[in-house]
Amino acid sequence: MNATTNRRRFLRGMGACLALPSLEAFLPRAAAATTGAARFATTASGAPLRMAFLYFPNGAVPSHWTASGAGDGFKLENTLAPLEAMKHRLQVISGLDLKNAEPGNDGAGDHARANGSFLTGVRVKKTAGSDIQAGVSIDQIAAQHIGRGTRFASLELSCDPHRKSGGCDSGYSCAYESNLAWRTPTSPLSPESNPRLVFERLFGAGDPGERGESLTRRRAQQRSILDFVMDDAKSLTKELTHRDKAKMDEYLTGVREIEERIVTAESFTDIPDPDMATPDGIPQAYDEYIRLMFRMTALAFETDATRVASLLLARDGSNRAFPEIEVAEGHHALSHHRNNADMVHKVTMIDRFYAERFAEFLSLIESKKDADGQSVLHNSMIVYGCGNSDGNRHTHTNLPIVLAGNGGGAFQPGRAWDAKENPLCNLYLSMLDTMGAPPLERFGDSTGRLAGV
Amino acid sequence: MFFDYIPPFFMPVRLPILLLSLAACQNAMAEDFAADFEDRILPILEDHCYNCHGDGAEKGKVAFDSFGTFDELTSQTKLWDHALRNVRAGIMPPPKKDQLSPDDLATLVEWIKRVPLKLDPANPDPGRVTLRRLNRIEYRNTVRELTGHDFRTDEEFPADDTGYGFDNIGDVLTTSPMLLEKYMQAAETIVEKALPLENRITPKKTFPAGMFRGRGERGDRDWHYNLSLYDPADLTAKLKIETAGTYRVTFNAGPRGSFSYDPGRAKVKWSVDGKQQLDRDVKWGDSRVVSEIEMKWQPGEYALRFEMEPLVGKDQQPPDLGDGPPFVHLELGGITLTGPLEPEHAVHPPNYGRFFTRERVPDDEAGRDAYRREILARFAGKAFRRPADDATVEKLAAFAKQSAEGASFEKGIARAVAAILASPRFLFRLEDTLPVENPEAHPLLDEWSLASRLSYFLWSSMPDEELFRLAERGELRKNLPAQIDRMLEDGKSDEFVRNFAGQWLQARDVEGVSIDARAVMARDSGSEKQNRERFENFRRLNREIDEAEKARDEVKLTALREEMQELRAQFRGQRRVEFGGSLRHAMKREAEMLFRHLLREDRSVLELIDNDSTFLNEELANHYGVPGVRGGDMKLVKLPEDSPRGGVLTMGTVLAVTSNPTRTSPVKRGVFILDNILGTPPPPAPPNIPSLEASEKTADGEELSLREALAMHREKSLCASCHNRMDPLGLAFENFNALGSWRDKELGEALPPVEGQLITGEKFTSVNELKRVLVTSRRDDFYRCITEKLLTYALGRGPEPCDITTVDDIVAKLDQSGGKFSTLITGIIESPAFQKRQRTTP
Repeated sequence: MNATTNRRRFLRGMGACLALPSLEAFLPRAAAATTGAARFATTASGAPLRMAFLYFPNGAVPSHWTASGAGDGFKLENTLAPLEAMKHRLQVISGLDLKNAEPGNDGAGDHARANGSFLTGVRVKKTAGSDIQAGVSIDQIAAQHIGRGTRFASLELSCDPHRKSGGCDSGYSCAYESNLAWRTPTSPLSPESNPRLVFERLFGAGDPGERGESLTRRRAQQRSILDFVMDDAKSLTKELTHRDKAKMDEYLTGVREIEERIVTAESFTDIPDPDMATPDGIPQAYDEYIRLMFRMTALAFETDATRVASLLLARDGSNRAFPEIEVAEGHHALSHHRNNADMVHKVTMIDRFYAERFAEFLSLIESKKDADGQSVLHNSMIVYGCGNSDGNRHTHTNLPIVLAGNGGGAFQPGRAWDAKENPLCNLYLSMLDTMGAPPLERFGDSTGRLAGV
Repeated sequence: MFFDYIPPFFMPVRLPILLLSLAACQNAMAEDFAADFEDRILPILEDHCYNCHGDGAEKGKVAFDSFGTFDELTSQTKLWDHALRNVRAGIMPPPKKDQLSPDDLATLVEWIKRVPLKLDPANPDPGRVTLRRLNRIEYRNTVRELTGHDFRTDEEFPADDTGYGFDNIGDVLTTSPMLLEKYMQAAETIVEKALPLENRITPKKTFPAGMFRGRGERGDRDWHYNLSLYDPADLTAKLKIETAGTYRVTFNAGPRGSFSYDPGRAKVKWSVDGKQQLDRDVKWGDSRVVSEIEMKWQPGEYALRFEMEPLVGKDQQPPDLGDGPPFVHLELGGITLTGPLEPEHAVHPPNYGRFFTRERVPDDEAGRDAYRREILARFAGKAFRRPADDATVEKLAAFAKQSAEGASFEKGIARAVAAILASPRFLFRLEDTLPVENPEAHPLLDEWSLASRLSYFLWSSMPDEELFRLAERGELRKNLPAQIDRMLEDGKSDEFVRNFAGQWLQARDVEGVSIDARAVMARDSGSEKQNRERFENFRRLNREIDEAEKARDEVKLTALREEMQELRAQFRGQRRVEFGGSLRHAMKREAEMLFRHLLREDRSVLELIDNDSTFLNEELANHYGVPGVRGGDMKLVKLPEDSPRGGVLTMGTVLAVTSNPTRTSPVKRGVFILDNILGTPPPPAPPNIPSLEASEKTADGEELSLREALAMHREKSLCASCHNRMDPLGLAFENFNALGSWRDKELGEALPPVEGQLITGEKFTSVNELKRVLVTSRRDDFYRCITEKLLTYALGRGPEPCDITTVDDIVAKLDQSGGKFSTLITGIIESPAFQKRQRTTP
């Protein structure tokens, strides 16, 4: 009779669906599909190995980001307390740096830089308008290797659908703040922020039972049109000059990618069709919104639709207020707390709010089992962090980073440890190696591999 | 950029001449320029600039004498562009230094434009516009115009990135693979919804509830009436039948209720032409009430009647138990009339004419081939906003034919139309130019491109039939003034208002801006601390209750729960302040409607800032404290003599979007004026210092007033140069809180009277005086600013030095016309930047 009941019904349906073992039935086949390709993104036991990057904004209060010890003595407190139940599956790594987010000669704009360099590792070009430039992001490098191994090479999500009018941070293009993933140094991948559209992209539109057909129909339609538009774009490109040509190239790249995806998709039959209602759209309450996006990520991993995902919880510099936890002031304004006790307390509440959502996500994928009997979380590498460490002072060293998942057995979770001034990019390279990618010599400002993960 | 320190003893030598002679000057012209510089310009720079930017000084890392040659000096386009802006806006020389005389200023300005910026008024450079993709607003409008289907791009497409403050900038509008996938999906959906696959259908017409008059009637254009089951209704309508035949009359109404149960019940009767169709009870939770009847009718008028009689008294309605007030009503639509049902009366489906051109599909194959080409050439021409070439039409027709195999003719057309909607020619705005004789000249756009530039500028949509017709005949450029008038009068120009004003004044943002009304009011009244304590108490109690539950300490639990009840009771009934959706919407409308009003009535753009009237409804007027406005409709209201309202700067929308969630931000407000009114945005704050406003609380939580905090950091020289420009402007608005309503107090203390000064010297003692200053002595700054913003929006690219001539011309014309809107719009459209494309360098 009203929106509330719809949502409730939906959430009930979702709970029911997630408890169902039926989706697991798809996993052995999906895992088998990759054996033809190189054994990329596969655990030693043959299960899928996933990689996810989750970004929360504005750093965290360092004195409250408390973790120490290892094994039974591993203690998570304050901001990190919600993660206690999952501690055997995660490591809190201090001492990781993102030097390219520091001001250097570029002046103000720490939020844009933190966000823009988080997955690219490079110093993004300071420009408000036309000539944006970052680097290919680590998730996309992984996605390029995974190629046709899964239905989707990668998934880009966001829980921050609003874009401001006017400029963004201190002379930086909004593109640096609204995107984590970059396909090329000049083309960011806009994340999807509507859970309904994420779901429909993964599983097809309509009610349970109709979705497979909807996907097949969509594919057939796309295929018939691709040839025509490809031809058209190619003939146009001849008439265009430099910058216009680059715009048409973006279009052509898109066409080629869809084509590849169709070819890939056709090699998969029996696309899973979750027994749940399609999400309505963006939930009103922020915590529900995040929860739903995490559920979409979990579904994608669980059904092996993709093995690479990124999720921007909110853009860096976000000034969202948190009525959910009775914090009326904006997050960004609060983050410049100058050690005012009340403000520090509120920022910590926000930091913890995000950590709680992350903890929920981890429990969700811990409860899902892969074909090898391990949990999806065990067979994952999940970075939860921010490109700003202390929001108050805009520092970019000793970042708040949690690495969750056992990497399919490659990692030794259940401890807090100090990486001692290693670039964050070193961790990324280690993760890429674990994924089974051909060794990459350098990434961003990397100086080597991060030992001891 | 880093400038080496130059020892003072080296300075007396004026570098340009010395080094120029060494470089054995390239041509006589250059020598003339250099001599002219020595003669007229250098003395001005020496007297007014070298104090800080020469002779060894290099404030802001600028020293005019640090370049090796005259050529090097004059090739610093960015430097001179900045210099020009700063001297014209009165920022340089700084207020305390020796000012330029009007003559010197004119000489310097003329020289900067001609020599270093190389502006050539005879062959102005129109600048470089990058191929523009339709943004999601343009896409939606274009698709609606083209196919009649309203595709919700705001839900289906990701938001577009913005550059230079607008979301239609060619360079910034990228096309990711995900977006392309969405475009392809959208093309399918649009075709499915818009393109009819049948040639003929039974006529069908839906009437709004507004057809019904009588007891319970509402507006005559309402699609639905919500009729409470507690109120009687007696509604009648007359149905006019023109053709004899069989008709089906469908009645469809749905009970709607609150989340919690409501006992309301009513008897409902429905009759068609005197024949009783329904006579039943309706109550909370019932399914829809539907009635269908077929009637054989001759031409004439036939009566419809709907009656509702309450069976339960209003006194039976239960109170609000926390889920909102209970209610139950019947949502009454109008009726649907289908018919005549006889096959000979069948008609083309709606939308048929948008895609198909003939009565019937030819039977023979050759005829069908020709018809396909006819349909697709017409539709592709419209969709591409220029005639489709033969090869493309052939390809489309072949595609349609191939897709029609085993399916209908129409299905084949549908496939080709989907291909058109996914094509780059539809998604991008391709432009072409007219041939030119002189290869040095910048060519004019062809008429098709001009038609699109006009329509996307003023309508955010594709050109209409008339623009196409004129373009086809090559008569659009000749008829520009009449077309501009026509386009602005058209309701579609509301899109220009929404999109330009919505972004320039950030009116788009007011509905989403995060403001906590309770915290704002508490701050004004000084009860912040009390509130904080209250919440801390709630939190403490909740925590203790949790602990007591864990410990199963029933005694303690009971005590704690009682304490909680008491605390709750204490605060129950306190007035809740809301910054609700309807108020926010009214604020947005106020800004849009004033802009539209001035545009349509061809008033002065100065009235955007200084105005004795504004658009209000009752809610917004109450919020502003303007008496005597009634009702929910926004209307133009003459403000009381002493009202501080009027003009965008004291509108709720601007005041709210430049605030923080719990309080005002004089810095943001100051920056807003510098950026959007005066056109002199301050540079970003230096890195690694916290926002200065954050210093308002000292470490022990004692609060400084914002004013004190700002005054403190204006004393730091690092901050002063910009904050001296921003703060006085922003502080003038301190009497308006973050909700945009008037206040006399902050933190419980009376606010001091307004007293401020612009960097250019003008003083003001009230917000209205500030507005006066902006529209009198700083008028040209505002003209230049709004011209640049509008040019950016119209062209889809950022301002370039090559636009200076265009902007100066328009500012001069605005000065003559008193700032008329038409001068501005026409000036932009007739400018070379809008009319031409930069020649391609071989």
